Formats: sequence, C-alpha cells, structure tokens
Amino acid sequence: MPFSSGEKWRPRAGFFKFSCCTGCGFELAYFQRSLEDTLKSFDFAFFRLASSSGDFDSLLDLALVEGTVTEPFQAVELKKIRKNSAVLYAVGSCAIAGGIPAIKAGGLELEIEKRAYQKKLYRLTSIRPSVLGDYVKVDGCVRGCPPGRHDLEEALVSVLLDRKPEFIEYSVCVECKMKGNICLLVDEGLPCMGPVTNAGCGALCPSCHRACYSCFGLMGQANIPALKDKFRQLGLSGEEIERRFTLFDGLKLKK
Amino acid sequence: MKIKIDYLGRVEGEAGVEFEIRGGKLRRLRINIWEPPRFFEGMLVGRSFDEVPDIVARICGICPVSHMVTSIRAIEKAIGFEPDENVLLARKIMSYSQIASSHLVHLVMLALPDYYGRSSFMELLPGEEALLKKFIRLKDVFNGITAAFGGGRALHPVSMVVGGFTALPDEGRIRGLRSGLPAAGEDMMDVFKTVSALELPDLKTDSELVALSEEGGYAVNKGRISSDMGLDGEEEDYERLFHEKEVPYSNAKKTAVRGRGALMVGALSRVSLHPDRLSESARKLALESGLAGKNKNPFYNIRAQAVEIVHFTEECRALLDKVQSGTALPKLRPKEGEGAALTEAPRGLLYHRYAVDRRGVVRKADIVTPTAHNYLGIEENLRRLIENNIDKPAERIRLLAEALIRAYDPCFSCSVH
Ligand code: SF4
Ligand code: SF4
Ligand code: SF4
Repeated sequence: MPFSSGEKWRPRAGFFKFSCCTGCGFELAYFQRSLEDTLKSFDFAFFRLASSSGDFDSLLDLALVEGTVTEPFQAVELKKIRKNSAVLYAVGSCAIAGGIPAIKAGGLELEIEKRAYQKKLYRLTSIRPSVLGDYVKVDGCVRGCPPGRHDLEEALVSVLLDRKPEFIEYSVCVECKMKGNICLLVDEGLPCMGPVTNAGCGALCPSCHRACYSCFGLMGQANIPALKDKFRQLGLSGEEIERRFTLFDGLKLKK
Repeated sequence: MKIKIDYLGRVEGEAGVEFEIRGGKLRRLRINIWEPPRFFEGMLVGRSFDEVPDIVARICGICPVSHMVTSIRAIEKAIGFEPDENVLLARKIMSYSQIASSHLVHLVMLALPDYYGRSSFMELLPGEEALLKKFIRLKDVFNGITAAFGGGRALHPVSMVVGGFTALPDEGRIRGLRSGLPAAGEDMMDVFKTVSALELPDLKTDSELVALSEEGGYAVNKGRISSDMGLDGEEEDYERLFHEKEVPYSNAKKTAVRGRGALMVGALSRVSLHPDRLSESARKLALESGLAGKNKNPFYNIRAQAVEIVHFTEECRALLDKVQSGTALPKLRPKEGEGAALTEAPRGLLYHRYAVDRRGVVRKADIVTPTAHNYLGIEENLRRLIENNIDKPAERIRLLAEALIRAYDPCFSCSVH
C-alpha cells in the first residue's frame, strides 16, 4: 500500500483470519489507541479487513494470525503463511487455545453440526478444531479474547525493534492483587478462574465484581487440580466445574 | 466475460462473488459465503444459561453487544425474569454506543475507499489525515462509553450478564463520558458532511424494508416487527413471519418474508421506516439526505448510518443524564422455559431463541443474524445493478458490485456463525 511518509524502513506485515469472530483483527485495526502509529509503522501487505487489495503470498517480516483451524484448506494456508514469514505470532484465544470455536471438540461433533444444518451437512468440510501450534511453529502468543493492549503493542514493537517479545506470562490474580481488589474466590466464594488464567486484561472481571471466566486462556503453569478442588469445596458440581475449564480451553483439557 | 472475486475485502468475514456476462446477459451470479461455520447453535446446547452471552458475543467482533443483549433478553424471558428500569437504560447505552462505533468503522474505513476508487483508507492518506484523526477521536468516545458500562472493554464486554450488570460506572465516570459528547457531535457533523457529499449510484429495488418499531422511541433493544408492506408481529411471531433456507453453494442461510420474498434490514430500513422517531436534528438530516419515505436504494445505507450516529450521540447524552450508577445483581434461579428476542443490531434485525431445562442448561438454540436477513436481497439487487450497467467495462462493473455489497455493511462471520 503506497504511503508517503518518508523513507523510514517499515516492516512488512500480514494479518490472517481463520475460524473466529474477527475480533482480534478489529482490535488491531480499529480499537487500539495506537492505530495511527500502527498504520504508519507497518506496511500491511495483506489485511482483508482493511484493504480490498493485497497479496496473500507476499514475504513478510511479521504474520499475525487469528482464529482456530477448523477446515483443511486453512491448514494448507497456515503452512504457506509460515513459510513466507520471518516471525509468526498467534493472536487471540481462538488461535492459541482453541477458544470458543473449540467448545465443539468437547462433544459429539456430528451431533453438534446437525443442530446447525440439516440439508447442507454432506457438503461441510469442517474438521476437528486445532490451534495454530498443532500445524506450524509459533514464535509467540498474543493472548486474550480480545488481546490486551500490552501484548498487542509488544507484538508490534518487538518486530520494529527486532528483539524478542516479552509477553505477559503470569496469572490474572497478580494483576488483580496489584489493583487492590478484594478476592472474590477467597472472600466471597465465587468460582473465579483468575488463579489459572493468563493475565493481560488488567483483571477486568474481578474489578467489576465478576468471577474471571478465563477468556485469556489457561496460563503455562496453571495448577488446575488445586482450583478444581477449591471449586468442589464451594459446592460446584462436576459438570459446572468442567464447563468453566472448557469454555476457552476445551482442546488442552481433552488431550 | 467472467468476474470472480474470491475473497472480498473491507467486510467482516469471508465471502466471494462470481458472475458471468455473455451476449449482453448476466448469468450464474452467486455470492458464496465461505466463512467456515462454527456451529454456535450446536455448541450452545449443554452450556449453562449464564454462559450464553459470553459465548454468543464471540459470533462477531464488531457487534458483540447486540448478540449479548439479544441472548440475555431471550434467556430472561425463558426463565421468567424481568430486569429493572436502570438495567434497561444501561443496556440501551451499551447498544447505542456500539451501533455508533460500528457504523463509524464501516463509513470511514470500509465503505469510503470505494467512492474514491481506492482499495483501503490508508491509500487516502496523507490527504485525509484530518478525517483519520476525527475517526480515532470519535471511535474513542463511543468505545469509551461501551467499555465503561461493559466493565473495561468495548469488545466482548464483561460486566453485562443475564439479570443485569455486575457493576456500573460511578457518577464521576458517567459525567466524564457525558462531557465528551458535545465535541463528538461536532466531529460527527464533519464526518456527516464527507459522507453526504459522496455521489451514490442509482438503484431501484423492491426489497421489503423491515425494522423493529416501538411507540415513542427509536426501537433498538426491543420492539414489534414492522415493514413498509404491513408486516406486524411480536418476537414470538418471528418464525411464523420469516423462513430460512439452506443454500447449496454457501455456508450462510437465506431468510425471506414468508409468502413474499427478499427483505432489507439495517440503518436504511430503520431510518426510512421511522424517521419521525429520530432526534430532531437527526430527523432533519434524514429528510435533507433523501432518506425518509421508503428509500429502497441500498447505497443510501451509508447515509442512514451517518444519520444514526448523530441520533445515537444525542440519545447517549440523554441516557447518561438519567442512568444511575451502582447495581445490585439479583440471584437468578434457573427454570425450564423458552424465550425469543429480537433486537436491532448495527446491521439490522437480530433473532435469538433458547430453550433451557430446569437446571438452566440450554437444550435448543436458534440464531438468525442481520446479514442472513439481507443475503437474498443482496443477491437479487446485485443482479439488478449489474443488469442496469451491463454495457459498462468489466472493471467498472466489478467495482460497482463490490460497492453495493459493502453498502449493506455485511457481516459474514455473523451470517454463518
Ligand atoms: S480470540 Fe476472541 S476476539 Fe479474537 S478472534 Fe477469537 S473470539 Fe474473536
Ligand atoms: S478475585 Fe479472582 S483473580 Fe482476583 S485474586 Fe481472587 S481469585 Fe485471583
Ligand atoms: S478477568 Fe478473566 S474473563 Fe475477565 S477479561 Fe480477564 S481473563 Fe477474561
């Protein structure tokens, strides 16, 4: 895309979508405050949400990919994107953990498909949902649904400065305590997923008196059995506990 | 001559168009919505009633509030719960601010480049630098309102739940939001001028204009079904009035008015069916822009969106004066039941229906989105547009076709879901 802002080097970037709500794309293109800087610092060679031209096969300094892989053609495209890109970041819970599109993986998939279509079923090519990392090497994860500001900016800045990104890798509880919130889990007995959920949102839910529902996905070293025990003590049924852990992370826990 | 666009740009989600012109005749036109299905209606079954709004929010990254409000209302009906007046006000603020910011993205970033013959807004820079700054400022104001009432973020808000809000902003915050609106109003008038100066292609259609209608207000979060051809009914009548059909070449279904045919939903239908319910200044702008009186040219949808932003800016101001901070969320008891709800999403009529069992687990879900309502009409009217321009060069026809589809502001992610 031609843009006359002097000769400064601008990394070439692409934004790609698989099965998802396109929210990560919107967040990058239209929600963040640094929109103007983003537009000016990068040369977007492919970003369908922003431009009707652009080349899917272009060589890239940075590929940002949102969405879950749920179709065979997406796996082929993803491998192509990987081959063309120096750095590839998975963006959002759909791409990293399976997110909402992967709830389906927890049930009988054909039954689930039948509830949405009757006639068309035989033409569907849907496969079991997978995360990007199942098909290609991912250089970093911009977590969230949608991602928080810090990680999104870090993804862009790390490429501009050609350094390793430092994405947030601790629990929502850390952010929550820094905010000085009263603990909903300990003090009010609400089933908060904060202890096992990756931070980055700024502990939004507990700050507005809601138990975290884990939209940023489980963090690396989550102590899942301990929190399940705690929920059991609070009187939640097995089914209720299962639902909480499979809302955004249905894939991880099935494996 | 064959025209094929595999992956339409500057729209939400994934779709392509193809058609052929041979011997001066249009053949084989189809809009193929290849956005992969995520089977929301299937995966919702077995989930708890209070998880539904957070799940359906993820149908769409630009109108999550609409899916949340619609599902919340349907579920509240199913379990027999009625929220208080203040909750309804706060939900209106959520919906109005979301519609304004969704329209804004469509007008400036998605639609505008068509009228300059460019493929993206970035290509209009640096000439349109001032417009970009206004866009960012306005977007910030409207997103700020949605985020403040939504618990900290406008995209997939967290505090809006079945029963009400887990928290609402305090008074100081509400005053702060309100104080940003007069300046936004001025910025918006400039955007309005840019949009209304665009020369819109001519196109006569006979799609039925359908929108919700509410006595004494501009219907958004609820209302009766109404149309320019006399359609009338409650939300419960929806399935009697409309019918949905699967399409062999597309993952989205097509909806029609039973016994009649294509309909058009969205800003244009709302404005031209109910101009008298707009705020005074928005009504004036609507009249000046040729929108009142059953305008059926889909290209005018972008003007209607601009009028609505003006309207919703004023409405937000009035509501921010009325809404109370603080909230007490009632403890909800699940109960077996069924409920349907209709709302006006940014892109038009949105339908959700749920059946839950006595433990509050979803047993059935049905969702019909604005773009599914428009799909049949988009294809029919695209055929008209091309036939009217059949002697034009291929490139011109292709651009016109893209511009028409975009004028509807389609959301293909929603249409398939
Ligand atoms: S991670 Fe969330 S915001 Fe991003 S595309 Fe998926 S559902 Fe949408
Ligand atoms: S409220 Fe939730 S996120 Fe906050 S400290 Fe307690 S468990 Fe952690
Ligand atoms: S607190 Fe949990 S559910 Fe809420 S926004 Fe943060 S990660 Fe998502």
